Amino acid sequence: MSSPALALPIGLAAVAAPPDGGALPREAEREAIEACRRGEREAFDRLVMRYQRDVYRLCYRYVNNHEDANDLAQEVFLKAWRAISRFRGDSAFSTWLYRIAVNACLNFRAVRRPPIQELPEGLADPLPGAAARVESDDEARRVRAAVARLPEKQRATLILKVYHELTHEEVAGILGSTVGTVKANLFHALGNLRRQMAEEGR
Amino acid sequence: MTRHVSDESLPDLAESGGSEADRAHVLACRPCAMRVEEARATLALARRAEVPEPSPLYWDAMRQSVGRRIAEEPRRAPRWGWLGPLAAAAAAVAVFALATGRTPAPSATPAPALPAWSALPPAEEDPSLAVLEGLAATGGGLGELDEGRAVGALLAELSDDDYRALADSLRGARQGGES
Repeated sequence: MSSPALALPIGLAAVAAPPDGGALPREAEREAIEACRRGEREAFDRLVMRYQRDVYRLCYRYVNNHEDANDLAQEVFLKAWRAISRFRGDSAFSTWLYRIAVNACLNFRAVRRPPIQELPEGLADPLPGAAARVESDDEARRVRAAVARLPEKQRATLILKVYHELTHEEVAGILGSTVGTVKANLFHALGNLRRQMAEEGR
Repeated sequence: MTRHVSDESLPDLAESGGSEADRAHVLACRPCAMRVEEARATLALARRAEVPEPSPLYWDAMRQSVGRRIAEEPRRAPRWGWLGPLAAAAAAVAVFALATGRTPAPSATPAPALPAWSALPPAEEDPSLAVLEGLAATGGGLGELDEGRAVGALLAELSDDDYRALADSLRGARQGGES
């Protein structure tokens, strides 16, 4: 996957005005989607503006670096553009878009395995007391790396639930699983995350 | 005391959710309260790990890049784009029939009956729907072609020679069907 490189510097502490163009009212979003179905590219630009931040962040959580997140995010929007005529509005547009993004991330990782080995699914119960240690950017980086090492489903669940604040039902819809599975995966994801951080803190 | 809360309930409880029974249990059960507190601390830990914010210039650049890549893609043709010329031909035949008061002769061979199962595409993908919808939109008339221009308008713009050529062509097609 190689999209035009956008090697702009990343300011770790930069706090810019939200670049996502703010909320797009539901009616305006529906109109934009309809216009996209008619092939109007300008309308799609509005949707990109609205969701680019969410999609980029989701991708970043998966791959844990800017270059791949940028590639993936652009790919997600291209796939969405190509498929938008098939979007029937059965779910929210954001849910549909997240589904494309998660699939793109899973496929991406299937092709390009990260050098760090994932944790096995069934880890022992974590050590208590490790959770309160993270304060700095360095520690935040370690948390992101730990999230990126979680098993696929656990990682997807944690990212969608914790960082995108979706409901159990929405996450289940995106991942094609049940609410019970989502809850179980979230529990295991938190446990594995806590364990990894505890081990690093030793 | 009720039974301990399940693993699956812990994240909900950590976010002040969960069932009333579970919440009441946690208030009375120290081990469960500790588990909930751990889950809560881990959630907070995860939330503090923000994704690094790209340069403010990045978002515009990304959007433009997506727009450029979309523009470079081959223009999306309708899935059944070949139906356009077919619909135009059908409409022209209908115009001719209306103008002359004659309808094309029915085909000598009856259409074969469809089997109980059908290999036809789903209704929403059926190409014939586009034609039917076009005709229905004008009350069984001619539909609209070429980005909203009516067939009548298209015919009106034909030169005399073109008009004659079209009429000859249709006449030939009709005679072929009658023979």
